[in-house]
Amino acid sequence: MKSPPTVGQRDKVVHVSALNEYVYCPRRFYYQRYHDEIGTPYELVDGRSKHQNQSNRGGWITERYFRADELKLHGKIDLIESEGGVFTPVERKRSESGQYYPSDEVQLTGYCMLLEAALNEPVNVGYIYLYSTDERHAVRITDRHRRTVREIITRIEEMSVGSIPPLTDNPEKCEACSAREYCMPAETARLEPEKAAGTGWEDEI
Amino acid sequence: MKASEGMYDEAVLFVTRQGSQVQVDGGRIVVWDVDGDEGRLASRPIEKVDTINVFGGVNFSTPFVAKANEHGIVLNYFTQHGKYRGSFVPEKNTIAEVRRAQYALSDDAELEIAKAMISGKIRNARTLLSRKGVHGTEVLKDLGVRTEKATSKDDLRGTEGEAAERYFARLDETLTDGWTFETRSKRPPEDHINSLLSLTYVFMKNEVLAALRQYNLDPFLGVLHADRHGRPSLALDLQEEFRPIFCDAFVTRLVNRGAITHDDFRTDNRLRDDAFDTYLSKFDDYMQEEFTHPYFEYTVSRRKAIRQQAILLRKVITDELDDYHPLTFDR
Ligand code: SF4
Repeated sequence: MKSPPTVGQRDKVVHVSALNEYVYCPRRFYYQRYHDEIGTPYELVDGRSKHQNQSNRGGWITERYFRADELKLHGKIDLIESEGGVFTPVERKRSESGQYYPSDEVQLTGYCMLLEAALNEPVNVGYIYLYSTDERHAVRITDRHRRTVREIITRIEEMSVGSIPPLTDNPEKCEACSAREYCMPAETARLEPEKAAGTGWEDEI
Repeated sequence: MKASEGMYDEAVLFVTRQGSQVQVDGGRIVVWDVDGDEGRLASRPIEKVDTINVFGGVNFSTPFVAKANEHGIVLNYFTQHGKYRGSFVPEKNTIAEVRRAQYALSDDAELEIAKAMISGKIRNARTLLSRKGVHGTEVLKDLGVRTEKATSKDDLRGTEGEAAERYFARLDETLTDGWTFETRSKRPPEDHINSLLSLTYVFMKNEVLAALRQYNLDPFLGVLHADRHGRPSLALDLQEEFRPIFCDAFVTRLVNRGAITHDDFRTDNRLRDDAFDTYLSKFDDYMQEEFTHPYFEYTVSRRKAIRQQAILLRKVITDELDDYHPLTFDR
């Protein structure tokens, strides 16, 4: 049995959901991490209730926590399919558009890497299940995926409270961003235009 | 520009009915007339509310208080006539990084923020007077310029005091016949208009307090008002810019439109019970009333605009913005 993580370790490992958050918008991730300002995304609330209906089926492992200090990663995998000794993590998404995003792939890769570390064997496939279409997409996890995850972990580690990431380069993301009321991207661009220089908001005003 | 979704307009709930009880029912806050037979008096989704102000004999059910704590809802207690008694503040996680930044503000940084607030206040004082057709306010303009050159907080307080005096001297002209400010007096309010102003400042202070608490700033550590035990200095600081344009404007509207008359006061200059209820509902309506934001160009409610100012204040404290940008109206 592993001993519980110490204070220092707990702060140093990165949560898998953080990978997704960071890819969506580093600034939002910053708010969540340092300011606890994020709001509750609809997706999360909705996802939570749906998860409950799907747990406890045969051939599935649900809600399992993993930690891999060597990867500096930890997190809970909500659903793992086990078939003939092969374990495959499943990431379920609401997604109205019927598509999944690169950030979802990154998160899934994180789960595969955690599982790999726990099983000590490669996990090269993960599934993204979309509620809206009731479809399951198999994603091949490549080395490029793994490199991306490691890189994001490094960037997250290097973040500090003293330097806030810029506004996103894609203002469309702000439309759906739960931190928007707090972030005030358009308002910032209006009040202190130099703060929006070089971001996607520069051209919006 | 597009306004982000309205979340704050219903954030504050006022409960005045004596003998009522605040309860939870599923995901909603329900005010129940337990003594009388009117049943459900009000009901709001719990996620929307962050502050409940209760006046006099109002009770909270025990499950409700547990929920209030869990959801970070602040409960403010007043006497039936609006005198503040105390608060229940939930144990919501204090965000260390924000508090640390606030406590670490240098004197210079505090002075810069305070200067912006006071110059905003003076700007708004002029705007209110000019909206009401009071002209010849160049002195105020000069005083506004002087705030920007202030080299110390005392200096700034001096300028503010002088501006307030000049401003109140002219505010009489905005009132309909039969009303007068004479001199702006503090406790106890010597006349009806002062009583209304004092009441409105208390309510506005509570709006600002709610906003600061929502964004985890310490309301008791000010940038201009001297820190005194139990005094919400930062709330008083942030309130400054809203005083003329929201508070005084509200009071003049109340009397000029006859919503409150001299008959509504008791001999001690306080409002009668029914008039107090009228006052409260007008105040809440006023907070929810929308206007076109002078820089952002979308419509916002006053309550939301106040909360945005709390966010902007926090952003300058946490170094995300360079300056504090007060809410000012040029016209
Ligand atoms: S509002 Fe836009 S810039 Fe701000 S955190 Fe959200 S996505 Fe990022």
